[in-house]
Amino acid sequence: MAMPQYAGGIWLADFEFHPAHGREGNPPVPVCMVARELNTRRTFRLGQDDLACLKAAPFPIDQSALFVAYYASAEIGCFIALGWPTPVNLLDLFAEFRCKTNGKPKVAGNGLLGALVAHGLDAMEADEKHTWRDLILTGGPWSQTERRGILDYCESDVLALARLLPVMQAYIDWPRALLRGRYAVAAAHIEANGVPIDTDTLAALKSGWQGIQHSLISSVDAEFGVYEGTTFKRDRFEKLLIRDGISWPRLATGTLDLQDNTFKDMARMHPSLAPLRELRGALSQMRLSDLQVGDDGRNRFLLSMFGSKTGRNQPSNTKSIFGPSVWLRGLIQPQPGFGIAYVDWAQQEFGIAAALSGDQAMMMAYASGDPYLSFAKQAGAVPKSATKHTHAAEREQFKACVLAVQYGMGAESLAYRINKPVARARELLNLHRRAYHTFWAWSEDALHQGLLGGRLWTAFGWQLFVDDAPNGRSLCNFPMQANGAEMLRLACIRLIADGVRICAPVHDAILIEAPLADLDDVVDHTQAIMRAASSAVLDGFALESDAKVVRSLQRFMDKRGVSMWNMVMEQLGLESRKVSNV
Amino acid sequence: MHQKHSCTKKQQADSVPSSTKGAMATAINNAFDVTDAPNPAEPSSLQIEGFNLDALRLPQNFGETLCVKRLITRVPVKKPSKTDFFRVRHGEDWRFQTMILELKDDGETFLVAPAVWGVVPGLLRPAMLHTAIDRRNNFFMIPVPLPGEDGRRNSWHQSLAEVVSMAETNWVRIVANKAVGGYDMLVAEGSLPDPDWPEVSFQELVKIAFRERLIQTPDHPVIMQLLGRS
Repeated sequence: MAMPQYAGGIWLADFEFHPAHGREGNPPVPVCMVARELNTRRTFRLGQDDLACLKAAPFPIDQSALFVAYYASAEIGCFIALGWPTPVNLLDLFAEFRCKTNGKPKVAGNGLLGALVAHGLDAMEADEKHTWRDLILTGGPWSQTERRGILDYCESDVLALARLLPVMQAYIDWPRALLRGRYAVAAAHIEANGVPIDTDTLAALKSGWQGIQHSLISSVDAEFGVYEGTTFKRDRFEKLLIRDGISWPRLATGTLDLQDNTFKDMARMHPSLAPLRELRGALSQMRLSDLQVGDDGRNRFLLSMFGSKTGRNQPSNTKSIFGPSVWLRGLIQPQPGFGIAYVDWAQQEFGIAAALSGDQAMMMAYASGDPYLSFAKQAGAVPKSATKHTHAAEREQFKACVLAVQYGMGAESLAYRINKPVARARELLNLHRRAYHTFWAWSEDALHQGLLGGRLWTAFGWQLFVDDAPNGRSLCNFPMQANGAEMLRLACIRLIADGVRICAPVHDAILIEAPLADLDDVVDHTQAIMRAASSAVLDGFALESDAKVVRSLQRFMDKRGVSMWNMVMEQLGLESRKVSNV
Repeated sequence: MHQKHSCTKKQQADSVPSSTKGAMATAINNAFDVTDAPNPAEPSSLQIEGFNLDALRLPQNFGETLCVKRLITRVPVKKPSKTDFFRVRHGEDWRFQTMILELKDDGETFLVAPAVWGVVPGLLRPAMLHTAIDRRNNFFMIPVPLPGEDGRRNSWHQSLAEVVSMAETNWVRIVANKAVGGYDMLVAEGSLPDPDWPEVSFQELVKIAFRERLIQTPDHPVIMQLLGRS
């Protein structure tokens, strides 16, 4: 499709900035901006003082013009910091480069340099960056010469955009590209908001962490007896598993598989093991110093939009509060007078699979509100009158089966999850195939599309190219994950346009914040928008959502982390900050 | 500690109440300086200014244009296993009376053409071949031996014929019962859906089933072997 015409111009722009007070987690401080109109070559070169004088961008940003940038949420972050209205039409060449190359081998990464190289364009100027970037990060003050040099450096990226856009425009899927561009605006607002953090407790945790490790191990391990000093003893753990009758996955060598992902899966099935997993994670991976918390107590981090193959955000696990162990989410606490709500789509993957495949039985199961129990009923495993209370054990098995299908698990892995023989797991998987045969046929078609057509796509055009070593499981799962990402983006775009303060998108959930007086209304509105967004992606089939509301003075907590959080608080002598079960 | 909100049917049917809009608009404007926030969306259709989402939505009907279909490459000729429920396709078009040669040691069943029937007397057996399918959509053919020249039928064969008849309308599983000299028939009582019979003709199925096991002439290696000539 040809590039649309814009009477107000096509403005290629780039900002240079650094975090306020040199502290990651603080909002950006714009240092300069260069903007250049593609056709007339009219150029604005504005330094820090010039920017401060402006109340809006010095070029059109209304419906008549197009704003073009590379990784545009950074530029929009500067618009927000300057208090400027944001552009209506936005094209993010990063998102389009990712969309065009997703799944293909990269020549030189996903950055501007990589995009230039991939298109056979001169990348020399774009390569001379590091010294200037380091200089900018010092926060100034800069000499006249340095300021001119920073502007020249900034302009070099704009000139790179001017070379890149003409070659990329031919393959850009225009209307959908602009929709992705709109998400960059939403992402920038979200990154600017950040997540409210209880900084007092974070400080106590940082200072006390080293000192409490031994006592924490003793406290957690009292129940398990698998540690010797600070060492996790494999043989003791094996004895524990035998004692408790838990089957545990093993490596090809026959030894227990103690990787964190395995522990995570097993802890889900056997919640009693969760504190042990949390302890192992905390001792080996936790880097509290990397958590980016600004002067105002907000955890701000790059969402890394379109970072994963499915198009989902891929923020740093160490910089975001949602990255480390779940118990640390207890640090999330609304500020006085505010509340937060974690609103997540209910059984999102199951609902997407049902709707996109058109499997009527699956759609009915979703619509029932309890797809797991419905599946058991449809398979004839429980009576029609069964409830989650009368047939809890059966429901758990069918739930595990649904999740296993979503994760692409085989019978052996499912058997571990449900702690039953492989034959039972195989039977459950067969029941799923029979109950939802339309879904399975569609899922196989998706696989064939990827393998034969070389490409899969979402309802709004995010695409995955299939490389030389395709992973069938990932291909089958792509429509669910990537369309889930689409609906999250749509919901975020609309909620931000409506002025809802989003703290963070978290996989299939959105964390919002509002003054206490408005909180319930904002939660209702968020749920309505999320429902509408799912309907837009799934052609009329709407997904429901749940909302967990936390008001000021309370703290957010994931139920999987309650036990660990309380133990840590106890060790730190912060008894009052312990939480009750959620 | 936490309060659970669930999007109820009422919320789905109504748009956000007008009182909500006012309160929210205030919060919104305070938060972002949004002076012209659009009205909250109707729950059923998401409006994003400048975009027609219905027009932008791409179909997710993967594979339709690629027309990948499952080819049937193997059709075992066998008795149903004791662990699988199966169905038999009803109708004369889906069964076939013929002479077969069963080599039990090798677990093989051959289809024998009329030209060979008189060559190895006593080793061939008349049988009705039925088209069957299991719960995983795997096709197979069940040979049900017919009464011999004396008109008598082995009790196991009689029992199998009864099972096949029942399987024309029910999902059935069989278990051998030596004490009674026949099969116990287990009939599924749940309301299971009928089989998804693939679009393939009976002739094609027979051809696949006996592709490497068709004896058309007396000089077939198996016949030569049985006659002690090779």
